[in-house]
Amino acid sequence: MSAQEYKLIFTGTMGAGKSTAISTISEIEPVSTDVQRSEAGNDAKVTTTAALDYGEVTLPGGDRLRLYGTPGQARFDFMWKILSEGALGVVVLVDNRRPDPLADLREYLTAFRDVVAGSRAVVGVGRRETHPVPDLDAYHDVAAELGLSAPIVSVDVRRRQDVLLLLDILFHQIEATEA
Amino acid sequence: MSKNTQCQTHLDTLRREHREVAGTLLSTMDGFEVAASVGEQISPKKMAAMTSSLLALAEAVSRESSVGQCRDLVIESSAGLVLMMDVPSTAHRSVLTVLCTEAAVLGRIRWAARNVREAIAQTLDAQSAA
Repeated sequence: MSAQEYKLIFTGTMGAGKSTAISTISEIEPVSTDVQRSEAGNDAKVTTTAALDYGEVTLPGGDRLRLYGTPGQARFDFMWKILSEGALGVVVLVDNRRPDPLADLREYLTAFRDVVAGSRAVVGVGRRETHPVPDLDAYHDVAAELGLSAPIVSVDVRRRQDVLLLLDILFHQIEATEA
Repeated sequence: MSKNTQCQTHLDTLRREHREVAGTLLSTMDGFEVAASVGEQISPKKMAAMTSSLLALAEAVSRESSVGQCRDLVIESSAGLVLMMDVPSTAHRSVLTVLCTEAAVLGRIRWAARNVREAIAQTLDAQSAA
């Protein structure tokens, strides 16, 4: 079988690590559309993604992945639709430091419902080492409430192995549904 | 007069003096509306977010193609055109968007919009220095 190309989406709230995850594993210099934030938030983040992030990675089998990161803020939700077009799967990143990370998960699972419902999603929860609550069971409950199921794992998007593991889980998930 | 009111005046003037200008919008680089003079059917909030995405992407393309910094972006459509310009304020870098009917001549609109963008940049910088 010849090598294939797949499009994957990284989404989640601002600061969840979408741009970082893509730059951690991309083999090309990632395309970034960061702009200066005009309103300083409570965090130290000075820039935010306005359009998309883009990176590429080749899997051991030769398949190539095109990685698209969405903007995090809901006012850019038109980009979510544009970027979802033709996507094979979605990685939802959640930041456990946020005031209500379960609500964040609910929002993104709902927005990407079509992709998630086809069992083509994985959820990565970040910063659990410093912010252990809520635990992963609480995340599973949120997915179940929405009638969805997705693997949910702890992740540090700065670690290449962690991000590759997310993709590995996502592909197993996709293969299982297609088999 | 507040910074936003003065910007609003610049936008209103551009729209009033050029019949082919159907709407004008000033927004931050990260997609927040600052002032707008548009028809009811257009949501300035949504346009502000969209122009932010477009300019950010156009800048990425400029970088990738090594053609310097992106200044203007023009969308030529079947029934009009949309001009997006970088407002060179040092304190509040922003975007000026001009919506035009099909009667618009790009060169003429661009010239008028450039003058307005300079005026807006001066307004934004003067305010923050005060």
